Amino acid sequence: MPLPAKAFQRWLHGVAPDASVADVARASGVKRTTLAQQLVRGKVAEATVVAISRAFNMNPVAALGSFEPYWDLGKPPIPPTLQELVSQIATADLLHAIIARTEPDAGTGNGTGTDKGTAPPGLGPPPHATSVKNWVDAIDDGELRHRVSAATGVAPQNYSAQLTANRLAPELAVATSRAAGVGLASGLVAAGLVTEAEAGWPPDARQAALDGMTDGELTALAGERLQALGKALRRQEHDQRQTETIWENLG
Amino acid sequence: MIEILQWTTLIASGAATLSRIPNLVRRKNRSIFYALALLTLAILLSIDGPYLAVDALLGGANVANLLLRFIIFGAIFFLALRIAVGFGDSRGIQLIRGRTGMLALGIISAVLVVCFVLMDTSGSSAGLVDVAAKNQQNALLVEYYGAAGRAYPAYVCLAILPGMLRAIRNPLPALLRMSAALLAVGSIAIPLSLLFPLVPPGLGFLRFTVNYTAILCFVVGLALIWVASARAGRKHRPLAAKRR
Repeated sequence: MPLPAKAFQRWLHGVAPDASVADVARASGVKRTTLAQQLVRGKVAEATVVAISRAFNMNPVAALGSFEPYWDLGKPPIPPTLQELVSQIATADLLHAIIARTEPDAGTGNGTGTDKGTAPPGLGPPPHATSVKNWVDAIDDGELRHRVSAATGVAPQNYSAQLTANRLAPELAVATSRAAGVGLASGLVAAGLVTEAEAGWPPDARQAALDGMTDGELTALAGERLQALGKALRRQEHDQRQTETIWENLG
Repeated sequence: MIEILQWTTLIASGAATLSRIPNLVRRKNRSIFYALALLTLAILLSIDGPYLAVDALLGGANVANLLLRFIIFGAIFFLALRIAVGFGDSRGIQLIRGRTGMLALGIISAVLVVCFVLMDTSGSSAGLVDVAAKNQQNALLVEYYGAAGRAYPAYVCLAILPGMLRAIRNPLPALLRMSAALLAVGSIAIPLSLLFPLVPPGLGFLRFTVNYTAILCFVVGLALIWVASARAGRKHRPLAAKRR
Protein backbone atom coordinates (compact mmCIF):
# COMPACT_ATOMS: atom_id res chain seq x y z
CA MET A 1 0.00 0.00 0.00
CA PRO A 2 1.42 3.40 -0.94
CA LEU A 3 2.37 5.79 1.84
CA PRO A 4 0.04 8.58 2.99
CA ALA A 5 1.04 11.96 1.54
CA LYS A 6 0.85 13.67 4.93
CA ALA A 7 3.41 11.35 6.49
CA PHE A 8 5.53 11.71 3.37
CA GLN A 9 5.48 15.53 3.59
CA ARG A 10 6.51 15.33 7.23
CA TRP A 11 9.34 12.95 6.35
CA LEU A 12 10.46 15.06 3.40
CA HIS A 13 10.53 18.15 5.63
CA GLY A 14 12.86 16.30 7.97
CA VAL A 15 15.12 15.16 5.10
CA ALA A 16 15.26 18.34 3.05
CA PRO A 17 13.63 21.21 4.92
CA ASP A 18 14.24 23.86 2.28
CA ALA A 19 13.81 21.86 -0.93
CA SER A 20 10.82 22.55 -3.17
CA VAL A 21 8.97 19.76 -4.95
CA ALA A 22 10.84 20.71 -8.14
CA ASP A 23 14.21 20.48 -6.34
CA VAL A 24 13.37 17.11 -4.90
CA ALA A 25 12.21 15.85 -8.28
CA ARG A 26 15.38 17.04 -9.98
CA ALA A 27 17.66 15.56 -7.34
CA SER A 28 15.92 12.19 -7.16
CA GLY A 29 15.14 11.68 -10.84
CA VAL A 30 11.44 11.17 -10.08
CA LYS A 31 9.39 13.01 -12.70
CA ARG A 32 7.98 16.21 -11.26
CA THR A 33 4.52 15.47 -12.62
CA THR A 34 4.61 11.98 -11.12
CA LEU A 35 5.58 13.32 -7.73
CA ALA A 36 2.96 16.09 -7.86
CA GLN A 37 0.29 13.59 -8.85
CA GLN A 38 1.19 11.23 -6.03
CA LEU A 39 0.98 14.13 -3.57
CA VAL A 40 -2.40 15.27 -4.91
CA ARG A 41 -3.81 11.74 -4.75
CA GLY A 42 -2.52 11.43 -1.20
CA LYS A 43 -0.65 8.21 -1.97
CA VAL A 44 3.10 8.24 -2.43
CA ALA A 45 4.78 5.19 -3.93
CA GLU A 46 7.51 3.46 -1.94
CA ALA A 47 9.79 3.76 -4.98
CA THR A 48 9.52 7.55 -4.69
CA VAL A 49 10.74 7.47 -1.10
CA VAL A 50 13.58 5.14 -2.13
CA ALA A 51 14.68 7.45 -4.96
CA ILE A 52 14.55 10.57 -2.78
CA SER A 53 16.40 8.99 0.12
CA ARG A 54 19.15 7.86 -2.27
CA ALA A 55 19.40 11.41 -3.63
CA PHE A 56 19.94 12.72 -0.09
CA ASN A 57 22.41 9.98 0.85
CA MET A 58 20.08 8.22 3.23
CA ASN A 59 19.56 4.49 3.47
CA PRO A 60 16.27 3.77 1.64
CA VAL A 61 15.40 0.90 3.94
CA ALA A 62 15.79 3.10 6.99
CA ALA A 63 13.79 5.81 5.21
CA LEU A 64 10.91 3.40 4.58
CA GLY A 65 11.22 2.36 8.22
CA SER A 66 10.20 5.85 9.31
CA PHE A 67 6.72 5.22 7.88
CA GLU A 68 4.16 3.50 10.04
CA PRO A 69 3.39 0.49 7.77
CA TYR A 70 7.11 -0.30 7.62
CA TRP A 71 8.08 0.66 11.18
CA ASP A 72 9.94 -2.62 11.75
CA LEU A 73 12.28 -1.97 8.82
CA GLY A 74 14.06 0.50 11.12
CA LYS A 75 15.09 -2.28 13.50
CA PRO A 76 18.59 -3.79 13.17
CA PRO A 77 18.53 -6.07 10.12
CA ILE A 78 18.45 -9.87 10.33
CA PRO A 79 21.17 -11.28 8.05
CA PRO A 80 19.92 -13.15 4.99
CA THR A 81 19.88 -16.95 5.03
CA LEU A 82 22.05 -18.97 2.65
CA GLN A 83 18.97 -20.02 0.69
CA GLU A 84 17.92 -16.42 0.26
CA LEU A 85 21.37 -15.42 -0.93
CA VAL A 86 21.50 -18.23 -3.46
CA SER A 87 17.97 -17.46 -4.64
CA GLN A 88 19.17 -14.04 -5.75
CA ILE A 89 21.84 -15.45 -8.07
CA ALA A 90 20.72 -15.47 -11.70
CA THR A 91 20.33 -18.87 -13.37
CA ALA A 92 22.98 -17.95 -15.93
CA ASP A 93 25.44 -17.21 -13.11
CA LEU A 94 24.70 -20.60 -11.53
CA LEU A 95 25.46 -22.24 -14.86
CA HIS A 96 28.66 -20.24 -15.21
CA ALA A 97 29.68 -21.49 -11.79
CA ILE A 98 29.03 -25.10 -12.81
CA ILE A 99 31.07 -24.70 -15.97
CA ALA A 100 33.90 -23.03 -14.07
CA ARG A 101 33.94 -25.86 -11.54
CA THR A 102 34.04 -28.59 -14.17
CA GLU A 103 36.86 -27.03 -16.22
CA PRO A 104 39.79 -29.48 -16.22
CA ASP A 105 42.09 -27.07 -14.42
CA ALA A 106 39.49 -25.92 -11.95
CA GLY A 107 40.84 -25.68 -8.44
CA THR A 108 44.39 -25.02 -9.60
CA GLY A 109 43.80 -21.34 -9.17
CA ASN A 110 44.60 -18.85 -11.89
CA GLY A 111 47.11 -21.24 -13.47
CA THR A 112 49.03 -19.93 -16.40
CA GLY A 113 46.96 -16.88 -17.13
CA THR A 114 46.50 -17.89 -20.76
CA ASP A 115 42.97 -19.20 -20.20
CA LYS A 116 41.21 -15.87 -19.95
CA GLY A 117 37.48 -16.11 -19.60
CA THR A 118 37.37 -19.37 -17.69
CA ALA A 119 37.36 -17.58 -14.36
CA PRO A 120 33.73 -17.18 -13.30
CA PRO A 121 32.54 -13.66 -14.00
CA GLY A 122 31.19 -11.67 -11.08
CA LEU A 123 27.58 -12.27 -10.14
CA GLY A 124 25.00 -9.95 -11.67
CA PRO A 125 23.25 -7.77 -9.10
CA PRO A 126 19.75 -8.77 -8.00
CA PRO A 127 17.04 -8.83 -9.11
CA HIS A 128 17.22 -11.44 -11.88
CA ALA A 129 14.43 -12.67 -14.17
CA THR A 130 12.84 -14.98 -11.58
CA SER A 131 14.08 -13.29 -8.40
CA VAL A 132 10.75 -12.94 -6.68
CA LYS A 133 9.56 -16.49 -7.15
CA ASN A 134 12.94 -17.99 -6.28
CA TRP A 135 13.12 -15.90 -3.12
CA VAL A 136 9.66 -16.93 -1.92
CA ASP A 137 10.42 -20.57 -2.76
CA ALA A 138 13.67 -20.27 -0.79
CA ILE A 139 11.91 -19.19 2.41
CA ASP A 140 8.64 -21.09 1.97
CA ASP A 141 7.94 -23.74 4.60
CA GLY A 142 4.85 -24.89 2.71
CA GLU A 143 2.37 -22.65 4.51
CA LEU A 144 3.97 -19.29 3.79
CA ARG A 145 1.65 -18.25 0.97
CA HIS A 146 -1.42 -18.92 3.10
CA ARG A 147 -0.01 -16.92 6.00
CA VAL A 148 0.84 -13.95 3.76
CA SER A 149 -2.58 -14.06 2.21
CA ALA A 150 -4.25 -14.22 5.61
CA ALA A 151 -2.12 -11.38 6.99
CA THR A 152 -2.58 -9.02 4.04
CA GLY A 153 -6.01 -9.99 2.70
CA VAL A 154 -4.52 -10.46 -0.78
CA ALA A 155 -6.10 -13.45 -2.51
CA PRO A 156 -3.66 -16.37 -2.98
CA GLN A 157 -4.13 -16.37 -6.77
CA ASN A 158 -3.27 -12.66 -6.97
CA TYR A 159 -0.19 -13.25 -4.85
CA SER A 160 0.85 -16.14 -7.10
CA ALA A 161 0.25 -14.02 -10.18
CA GLN A 162 2.69 -11.42 -8.87
CA LEU A 163 5.32 -14.08 -8.19
CA THR A 164 4.94 -15.51 -11.68
CA ALA A 165 5.24 -12.04 -13.22
CA ASN A 166 8.39 -11.42 -11.12
CA ARG A 167 6.70 -8.50 -9.39
CA LEU A 168 6.07 -8.02 -5.70
CA ALA A 169 4.45 -4.96 -4.14
CA PRO A 170 6.70 -3.59 -1.34
CA GLU A 171 3.96 -4.09 1.21
CA LEU A 172 3.62 -7.75 0.19
CA ALA A 173 7.40 -8.21 0.13
CA VAL A 174 7.70 -7.05 3.73
CA ALA A 175 4.61 -9.02 4.77
CA THR A 176 6.20 -12.13 3.24
CA SER A 177 9.42 -11.52 5.19
CA ARG A 178 7.45 -11.08 8.39
CA ALA A 179 5.46 -14.26 7.80
CA ALA A 180 8.64 -16.23 7.10
CA GLY A 181 10.62 -14.67 9.94
CA VAL A 182 13.53 -13.66 7.71
CA GLY A 183 15.27 -10.33 7.17
CA LEU A 184 12.60 -7.74 6.42
CA ALA A 185 14.40 -6.05 3.54
CA SER A 186 15.14 -9.27 1.62
CA GLY A 187 11.87 -9.15 -0.26
CA LEU A 188 12.59 -5.58 -1.29
CA VAL A 189 15.90 -6.78 -2.75
CA ALA A 190 14.17 -9.57 -4.67
CA ALA A 191 11.55 -7.12 -5.92
CA GLY A 192 14.33 -4.80 -7.09
CA LEU A 193 13.26 -1.86 -4.92
CA VAL A 194 16.54 -1.66 -2.97
CA THR A 195 20.03 -3.05 -3.58
CA GLU A 196 21.56 -5.83 -1.52
CA ALA A 197 23.98 -3.35 0.06
CA GLU A 198 21.11 -1.08 1.08
CA ALA A 199 19.37 -4.06 2.67
CA GLY A 200 22.47 -4.67 4.76
CA TRP A 201 23.63 -7.82 2.99
CA PRO A 202 27.40 -8.18 3.40
CA PRO A 203 29.29 -7.62 0.14
CA ASP A 204 30.14 -10.89 -1.60
CA ALA A 205 27.67 -12.72 0.64
CA ARG A 206 26.03 -14.24 -2.42
CA GLN A 207 29.37 -15.29 -3.90
CA ALA A 208 30.33 -16.85 -0.57
CA ALA A 209 27.01 -18.71 -0.40
CA LEU A 210 27.56 -19.96 -3.93
CA ASP A 211 31.11 -21.08 -3.16
CA GLY A 212 29.81 -22.89 -0.10
CA MET A 213 27.50 -25.09 -2.15
CA THR A 214 28.67 -28.58 -3.03
CA ASP A 215 28.74 -29.57 -6.68
CA GLY A 216 25.68 -31.72 -6.08
CA GLU A 217 23.69 -28.94 -4.46
CA LEU A 218 24.65 -26.47 -7.14
CA THR A 219 23.84 -28.81 -10.00
CA ALA A 220 20.51 -29.83 -8.49
CA LEU A 221 19.54 -26.18 -7.95
CA ALA A 222 20.54 -25.19 -11.47
CA GLY A 223 18.57 -28.17 -12.75
CA GLU A 224 15.47 -27.03 -10.90
CA ARG A 225 15.87 -23.54 -12.26
CA LEU A 226 16.31 -24.82 -15.82
CA GLN A 227 13.29 -27.04 -15.52
CA ALA A 228 11.11 -24.15 -14.35
CA LEU A 229 12.54 -21.93 -17.06
CA GLY A 230 11.89 -24.57 -19.71
CA LYS A 231 8.29 -24.90 -18.57
CA ALA A 232 7.75 -21.15 -18.70
CA LEU A 233 9.35 -20.88 -22.13
CA ARG A 234 7.29 -23.75 -23.49
CA ARG A 235 4.12 -22.13 -22.21
CA GLN A 236 5.15 -18.85 -23.83
CA GLU A 237 5.90 -20.56 -27.11
CA HIS A 238 2.57 -22.34 -27.02
CA ASP A 239 0.73 -19.06 -26.49
CA GLN A 240 2.75 -17.47 -29.25
CA ARG A 241 1.88 -20.29 -31.63
CA GLN A 242 -1.77 -19.98 -30.74
CA THR A 243 -1.69 -16.25 -31.41
CA GLU A 244 -0.02 -16.82 -34.74
CA THR A 245 -2.64 -19.39 -35.75
CA ILE A 246 -5.31 -16.82 -35.06
CA TRP A 247 -3.58 -14.24 -37.21
CA GLU A 248 -2.88 -16.69 -39.97
CA ASN A 249 -6.52 -17.70 -40.21
CA LEU A 250 -8.34 -14.55 -39.25
CA GLY A 251 -5.80 -11.80 -39.87
CA MET B 1 -34.42 3.08 -32.82
CA ILE B 2 -34.51 -0.28 -34.59
CA GLU B 3 -33.78 1.44 -37.88
CA ILE B 4 -30.66 3.03 -36.40
CA LEU B 5 -29.44 -0.33 -35.14
CA GLN B 6 -30.11 -1.93 -38.53
CA TRP B 7 -28.26 0.70 -40.51
CA THR B 8 -25.40 0.84 -38.00
CA THR B 9 -24.95 -2.89 -38.34
CA LEU B 10 -25.10 -2.62 -42.11
CA ILE B 11 -22.48 0.14 -42.17
CA ALA B 12 -20.20 -1.70 -39.71
CA SER B 13 -20.46 -4.90 -41.70
CA GLY B 14 -19.98 -3.09 -45.02
CA ALA B 15 -16.92 -1.27 -43.67
CA ALA B 16 -15.48 -4.55 -42.37
CA THR B 17 -16.01 -6.10 -45.81
CA LEU B 18 -14.31 -3.19 -47.57
CA SER B 19 -11.38 -3.34 -45.15
CA ARG B 20 -10.80 -6.92 -46.29
CA ILE B 21 -10.26 -5.90 -49.92
CA PRO B 22 -6.48 -5.43 -49.58
CA ASN B 23 -6.21 -8.94 -48.15
CA LEU B 24 -8.49 -10.23 -50.89
CA VAL B 25 -6.10 -8.84 -53.49
CA ARG B 26 -3.18 -10.38 -51.57
CA ARG B 27 -5.07 -13.70 -51.54
CA LYS B 28 -4.92 -13.86 -47.77
CA ASN B 29 -7.85 -15.49 -45.99
CA ARG B 30 -10.20 -14.68 -48.80
CA SER B 31 -13.07 -16.70 -47.32
CA ILE B 32 -13.45 -14.04 -44.64
CA PHE B 33 -14.11 -11.44 -47.30
CA TYR B 34 -16.73 -13.60 -48.95
CA ALA B 35 -18.39 -14.42 -45.64
CA LEU B 36 -18.53 -10.76 -44.67
CA ALA B 37 -19.83 -9.79 -48.10
CA LEU B 38 -22.61 -12.38 -47.71
CA LEU B 39 -23.32 -11.10 -44.21
CA THR B 40 -23.59 -7.52 -45.47
CA LEU B 41 -25.93 -8.67 -48.19
CA ALA B 42 -28.01 -10.52 -45.61
CA ILE B 43 -28.30 -7.45 -43.41
CA LEU B 44 -29.28 -5.37 -46.43
CA LEU B 45 -32.01 -7.90 -47.29
CA SER B 46 -33.32 -7.88 -43.75
CA ILE B 47 -34.13 -4.17 -43.96
CA ASP B 48 -37.59 -3.29 -45.30
CA GLY B 49 -36.76 -1.01 -48.23
CA PRO B 50 -33.97 -3.04 -49.86
CA TYR B 51 -35.93 -6.23 -49.28
CA LEU B 52 -38.96 -4.99 -51.16
CA ALA B 53 -36.80 -3.75 -54.03
CA VAL B 54 -34.90 -7.03 -54.39
CA ASP B 55 -37.97 -9.18 -53.97
CA ALA B 56 -39.74 -7.21 -56.70
CA LEU B 57 -36.93 -8.26 -59.04
CA LEU B 58 -37.32 -11.91 -57.96
CA GLY B 59 -41.04 -12.01 -58.73
CA GLY B 60 -42.58 -10.58 -55.58
CA ALA B 61 -43.21 -13.98 -54.01
CA ASN B 62 -40.78 -13.59 -51.12
CA VAL B 63 -38.12 -15.73 -52.77
CA ALA B 64 -35.76 -13.07 -51.48
CA ASN B 65 -36.53 -14.28 -47.95
CA LEU B 66 -35.54 -17.84 -48.78
CA LEU B 67 -32.42 -16.48 -50.45
CA LEU B 68 -31.69 -14.43 -47.34
CA ARG B 69 -31.83 -17.56 -45.17
CA PHE B 70 -29.33 -19.43 -47.32
CA ILE B 71 -27.04 -16.42 -47.52
CA ILE B 72 -27.01 -16.36 -43.72
CA PHE B 73 -26.28 -20.10 -43.59
CA GLY B 74 -23.36 -19.69 -45.98
CA ALA B 75 -21.91 -16.65 -44.23
CA ILE B 76 -22.14 -18.20 -40.76
CA PHE B 77 -20.69 -21.49 -41.99
CA PHE B 78 -17.54 -19.95 -43.47
CA LEU B 79 -17.09 -17.40 -40.72
CA ALA B 80 -17.52 -19.85 -37.85
CA LEU B 81 -15.28 -22.39 -39.53
CA ARG B 82 -12.50 -19.78 -39.91
CA ILE B 83 -12.92 -18.71 -36.30
CA ALA B 84 -12.77 -22.30 -35.05
CA VAL B 85 -9.65 -22.99 -37.13
CA GLY B 86 -8.04 -19.75 -35.98
CA PHE B 87 -8.61 -20.45 -32.31
CA GLY B 88 -7.43 -24.03 -32.72
CA ASP B 89 -10.77 -25.46 -31.61
CA SER B 90 -10.67 -28.89 -33.27
CA ARG B 91 -13.94 -29.99 -31.68
CA GLY B 92 -15.66 -26.91 -33.05
CA ILE B 93 -14.26 -27.60 -36.53
CA GLN B 94 -15.47 -31.17 -36.31
CA LEU B 95 -18.96 -30.09 -35.23
CA ILE B 96 -19.27 -27.62 -38.09
CA ARG B 97 -17.61 -29.47 -40.96
CA GLY B 98 -18.06 -33.05 -39.81
CA ARG B 99 -20.97 -35.37 -40.44
CA THR B 100 -23.13 -33.89 -37.66
CA GLY B 101 -22.75 -30.42 -39.04
CA MET B 102 -23.56 -31.46 -42.59
CA LEU B 103 -26.54 -33.47 -41.40
CA ALA B 104 -27.84 -30.48 -39.43
CA LEU B 105 -27.38 -28.22 -42.44
CA GLY B 106 -29.14 -30.70 -44.75
CA ILE B 107 -32.14 -31.36 -42.53
CA ILE B 108 -32.65 -27.73 -41.61
CA SER B 109 -32.37 -26.64 -45.24
CA ALA B 110 -34.91 -29.27 -46.26
CA VAL B 111 -37.36 -28.12 -43.59
CA LEU B 112 -36.83 -24.54 -44.68
CA VAL B 113 -37.57 -25.26 -48.33
CA VAL B 114 -40.57 -27.50 -47.59
CA CYS B 115 -42.15 -24.87 -45.34
CA PHE B 116 -41.55 -22.24 -47.96
CA VAL B 117 -43.12 -24.31 -50.70
CA LEU B 118 -46.18 -25.16 -48.60
CA MET B 119 -46.75 -21.48 -47.82
CA ASP B 120 -48.83 -19.13 -49.92
CA THR B 121 -46.00 -16.65 -50.30
CA SER B 122 -47.41 -14.15 -52.77
CA GLY B 123 -47.07 -10.51 -51.77
CA SER B 124 -43.67 -9.16 -50.83
CA SER B 125 -43.30 -8.62 -47.09
CA ALA B 126 -40.10 -8.29 -45.09
CA GLY B 127 -40.04 -10.84 -42.28
CA LEU B 128 -43.07 -12.50 -43.93
CA VAL B 129 -45.35 -10.56 -41.59
CA ASP B 130 -48.16 -10.18 -44.11
CA VAL B 131 -47.76 -13.77 -45.28
CA ALA B 132 -48.27 -15.04 -41.74
CA ALA B 133 -51.33 -12.86 -41.35
CA LYS B 134 -53.12 -14.53 -44.28
CA ASN B 135 -54.46 -17.61 -42.51
CA GLN B 136 -53.93 -20.05 -39.68
CA GLN B 137 -51.92 -22.53 -41.71
CA ASN B 138 -49.60 -19.88 -43.11
CA ALA B 139 -49.00 -18.46 -39.64
CA LEU B 140 -47.94 -21.89 -38.40
CA LEU B 141 -45.69 -22.50 -41.41
CA VAL B 142 -44.02 -19.11 -41.03
CA GLU B 143 -43.33 -19.99 -37.41
CA TYR B 144 -41.63 -23.28 -38.40
CA TYR B 145 -39.87 -21.63 -41.27
CA GLY B 146 -38.46 -18.95 -38.97
CA ALA B 147 -37.40 -21.52 -36.40
CA ALA B 148 -35.56 -23.53 -39.06
CA GLY B 149 -33.87 -20.38 -40.30
CA ARG B 150 -32.58 -19.65 -36.80
CA ALA B 151 -31.71 -23.24 -35.96
CA TYR B 152 -28.60 -23.63 -38.13
CA PRO B 153 -26.88 -20.39 -37.03
CA ALA B 154 -27.70 -21.36 -33.45
CA TYR B 155 -26.15 -24.80 -33.93
CA VAL B 156 -22.96 -23.35 -35.42
CA CYS B 157 -22.64 -20.73 -32.70
CA LEU B 158 -23.05 -23.32 -29.96
CA ALA B 159 -20.33 -25.34 -31.69
CA ILE B 160 -17.76 -22.53 -31.48
CA LEU B 161 -18.85 -21.13 -28.10
CA PRO B 162 -16.73 -23.43 -25.88
CA GLY B 163 -13.62 -22.56 -27.89
CA MET B 164 -14.29 -18.84 -27.46
CA LEU B 165 -14.86 -19.18 -23.72
CA ARG B 166 -11.56 -21.06 -23.45
CA ALA B 167 -9.76 -18.36 -25.44
CA ILE B 168 -10.98 -15.65 -23.07
CA ARG B 169 -9.23 -17.35 -20.18
CA ASN B 170 -6.04 -18.07 -22.14
CA PRO B 171 -3.01 -15.83 -21.71
CA LEU B 172 -3.42 -14.38 -25.22
CA PRO B 173 -2.79 -10.71 -26.03
CA ALA B 174 -5.47 -8.51 -24.50
CA LEU B 175 -6.99 -7.49 -27.84
CA LEU B 176 -7.41 -11.11 -28.90
CA ARG B 177 -9.10 -11.98 -25.62
CA MET B 178 -11.40 -9.02 -26.05
CA SER B 179 -12.35 -10.17 -29.52
CA ALA B 180 -12.87 -13.70 -28.23
CA ALA B 181 -15.21 -12.22 -25.61
CA LEU B 182 -17.16 -10.32 -28.29
CA LEU B 183 -17.39 -13.45 -30.44
CA ALA B 184 -18.60 -15.37 -27.40
CA VAL B 185 -21.33 -12.79 -26.73
CA GLY B 186 -22.39 -13.10 -30.35
CA SER B 187 -22.40 -16.89 -30.14
CA ILE B 188 -24.61 -16.73 -27.06
CA ALA B 189 -26.99 -14.16 -28.53
CA ILE B 190 -27.74 -16.08 -31.73
CA PRO B 191 -28.93 -19.30 -30.02
CA LEU B 192 -31.07 -17.07 -27.78
CA SER B 193 -32.97 -16.16 -30.95
CA LEU B 194 -34.47 -19.66 -30.83
CA LEU B 195 -36.53 -18.42 -27.89
CA PHE B 196 -38.10 -15.64 -29.96
CA PRO B 197 -41.50 -17.34 -30.28
CA LEU B 198 -41.76 -17.11 -26.48
CA VAL B 199 -41.13 -13.36 -26.46
CA PRO B 200 -44.40 -11.49 -25.82
CA PRO B 201 -45.47 -9.36 -28.83
CA GLY B 202 -45.07 -6.16 -26.84
CA LEU B 203 -41.35 -6.79 -26.54
CA GLY B 204 -40.83 -7.34 -30.26
CA PHE B 205 -37.94 -4.89 -30.30
CA LEU B 206 -35.96 -7.44 -28.26
CA ARG B 207 -35.75 -9.68 -31.34
CA PHE B 208 -34.09 -6.99 -33.37
CA THR B 209 -31.80 -5.96 -30.55
CA VAL B 210 -30.55 -9.51 -30.00
CA ASN B 211 -30.10 -10.20 -33.72
CA TYR B 212 -28.23 -7.07 -34.65
CA THR B 213 -26.19 -6.95 -31.45
CA ALA B 214 -25.01 -10.46 -32.22
CA ILE B 215 -23.92 -9.48 -35.72
CA LEU B 216 -22.24 -6.32 -34.43
CA CYS B 217 -20.35 -8.38 -31.85
CA PHE B 218 -19.10 -10.73 -34.56
CA VAL B 219 -18.03 -7.94 -36.91
CA VAL B 220 -16.32 -5.85 -34.23
CA GLY B 221 -14.71 -8.94 -32.72
CA LEU B 222 -13.20 -9.89 -36.08
CA ALA B 223 -12.10 -6.31 -36.73
CA LEU B 224 -10.25 -6.31 -33.40
CA ILE B 225 -8.27 -9.35 -34.50
CA TRP B 226 -7.12 -7.47 -37.61
CA VAL B 227 -6.16 -4.48 -35.49
CA ALA B 228 -4.13 -6.74 -33.21
CA SER B 229 -2.56 -8.55 -36.13
CA ALA B 230 -1.65 -5.31 -37.92
CA ARG B 231 -0.07 -3.98 -34.74
CA ALA B 232 1.90 -7.14 -34.08
CA GLY B 233 2.93 -7.24 -37.74
CA ARG B 234 4.56 -3.87 -37.38
CA LYS B 235 6.29 -4.90 -34.18
CA HIS B 236 7.50 -8.42 -34.93
CA ARG B 237 7.96 -8.46 -38.69
CA PRO B 238 9.80 -5.34 -39.73
CA LEU B 239 11.28 -7.25 -42.68
CA ALA B 240 7.92 -8.16 -44.15
CA ALA B 241 6.78 -4.57 -43.70
CA LYS B 242 9.84 -3.22 -45.48
CA ARG B 243 9.36 -5.45 -48.46
CA ARG B 244 5.96 -3.96 -49.21
